[in-house]
Amino acid sequence: MAGELTSMTTAPAGPDPTAERGRSARHAVPAVLRRVGVVLVNRTALLFTLLALVFIGVELLPGDAAHATSERGESAADLAQRRALLGLDKPVLERFWDWMSGLPTGNLGTSAHGERVTDLISTAFPNTLLLGATALLLTAVLSLALGSWAALRPGRRLDRTVTAASTAVFAVPEFVVAVALVLVLALWTGWLPAVTLTGADGTPSSWTMLVLPVLALTVPQTGWNTRIVRAALADEARAPHVETAVLDGLSPLRVLTRHVLPGAMPTIATGLATSSGVLLGGAVVVETIFNYPGVGAVLASAVADRDTPVIAGVTALAGAVISCVLLLADLTRDAVTGERR
Amino acid sequence: MVAAAPPRARIGVILLHSLPALLLVCLALAGPWLAPHSVTDPVTAPFAEPGAGAPLGGDQLGRDVWSRLLAGGGQLVLSALLIAVVVTGAAAVLGAVAALRPKVGKVVERVADVLILLPAVLGIMLVALSWPEGGRFAVVLAAVVLGVPYAVRLAANAAAPVAGAGYVESAAAGGERLWVLVVREILPNLRATLLALFGLRFVEAVYVVSTAGFLQVGPQPPAADWALMIRENSPGLLLNPWAVVAPSAVIGLLALSVNLAAGALAPQTGRKAVTVR
Repeated sequence: MAGELTSMTTAPAGPDPTAERGRSARHAVPAVLRRVGVVLVNRTALLFTLLALVFIGVELLPGDAAHATSERGESAADLAQRRALLGLDKPVLERFWDWMSGLPTGNLGTSAHGERVTDLISTAFPNTLLLGATALLLTAVLSLALGSWAALRPGRRLDRTVTAASTAVFAVPEFVVAVALVLVLALWTGWLPAVTLTGADGTPSSWTMLVLPVLALTVPQTGWNTRIVRAALADEARAPHVETAVLDGLSPLRVLTRHVLPGAMPTIATGLATSSGVLLGGAVVVETIFNYPGVGAVLASAVADRDTPVIAGVTALAGAVISCVLLLADLTRDAVTGERR
Repeated sequence: MVAAAPPRARIGVILLHSLPALLLVCLALAGPWLAPHSVTDPVTAPFAEPGAGAPLGGDQLGRDVWSRLLAGGGQLVLSALLIAVVVTGAAAVLGAVAALRPKVGKVVERVADVLILLPAVLGIMLVALSWPEGGRFAVVLAAVVLGVPYAVRLAANAAAPVAGAGYVESAAAGGERLWVLVVREILPNLRATLLALFGLRFVEAVYVVSTAGFLQVGPQPPAADWALMIRENSPGLLLNPWAVVAPSAVIGLLALSVNLAAGALAPQTGRKAVTVR
């Protein structure tokens, strides 16, 4: 939620549109490729900046992994030995290089107990991604439907209700929503399982176990995105081509789907992409309540063990996933603005 | 762009909408002195149902849920208030500077673009673990660092028209120093925006601090903390649901009521109509 309050003001990545004008269609393909390239380089640079920030932050703060996991009564020699094992005795620059080059090569570092972070989360992270992606998809569908439905009835009771409700729910933490859902849907009515049971392969054994965690993530984010959809549609509805369509006597629904929605899409896509980070963070929390076999459990034991490298590794991976979603939003914006030329 | 003083009716609306939040915050802060039992001593059987002496029953160790509920919000509200004050203050100054000096604004934009990639939960875990002695201050520090860039964006957007106003430009041309321009000319004209920003940051901070508490980052057992109560007592949801439902309800109510107040504080812009008919 942190970025959401102002995520709408991000400057579009990519070159100046005016520079593209006046070219013939023959150059369209290279131009698109170049724009995609710029967006790609931009996002990659931001991701590596995040990696550097995480490393510097962990480096500057007082604790270190060998110290955090030390047993009571351990001798200084043992501590030095573990430092060497974890590679903490290498010079800072070398460790920085190892960390920065880790993500592209699939190496997310070593945990404080000497295991590879990649091995620790290889089964859990896909489960978390499944949870987050399902919630993102559902959020997209629901917020588009609700936002459009409200926009077709501007200023009426339905519009006001949708706006008020979506404003109210986005502030409620996911775990509070989860408790409410468990009470109503699992305990009182008995429709859905309150906890996740895992099959032999470490994945949830039935799809019904996904329903409650996904709903707990979707409710607050749908509230947030419905507001964005509603505002983006209102902005786009003032465009001249929309007024022309209205004056031509097209039905409101057709005007909305054919003329208003395409132009509002970049803003909506950016909003949804920003939600992906919150959904990933929220997934960690919700998994704990439903006992879902995701990365949340790994992080919980890392918190208990004071295992900073694991959390840094997961942060790097989460940053990469969020970068990919934001890249999709950039490309959506690019496609829409490119078409208009 | 100097905002006119709001009419009396609008002040009434703001007060009415802020009342639930103010009440809850005062209750949370005064709670520890109102608790009838100690928050650490067992007074009932584990997960006992509500009964005489324990209106909301017992928790996983048989401690009085009602007393822990009263005592468990003060720290959370104080942390959230501290975060909201620091973030709003820093954002106000930085936003005003960014409006006067475009280069600073560009740097802030880039930092915000990077921090979008870091889910708040993970950022707080990282800081709290790398700084074990920090306790609650580690959570506050992390929340401030993660919150400032976005808040600066909002403040800079609001400060831009003020920075372009004639009297600011003439003061700048007259050789006034940067901090004089920020403090004397720009900030006084951003009162309404900053108040609304404070409300939003408080909503945000309640979310972040309670989520961190739920993940056992920040408050440690046996301390009474609403988020931690939910985490500790969820195994006994069937035996004494109140041990989980009551703290969930107060966190939910706090989020909703503060959000209501923040919405009322926001500068009123006309509703946009969608003309598709």
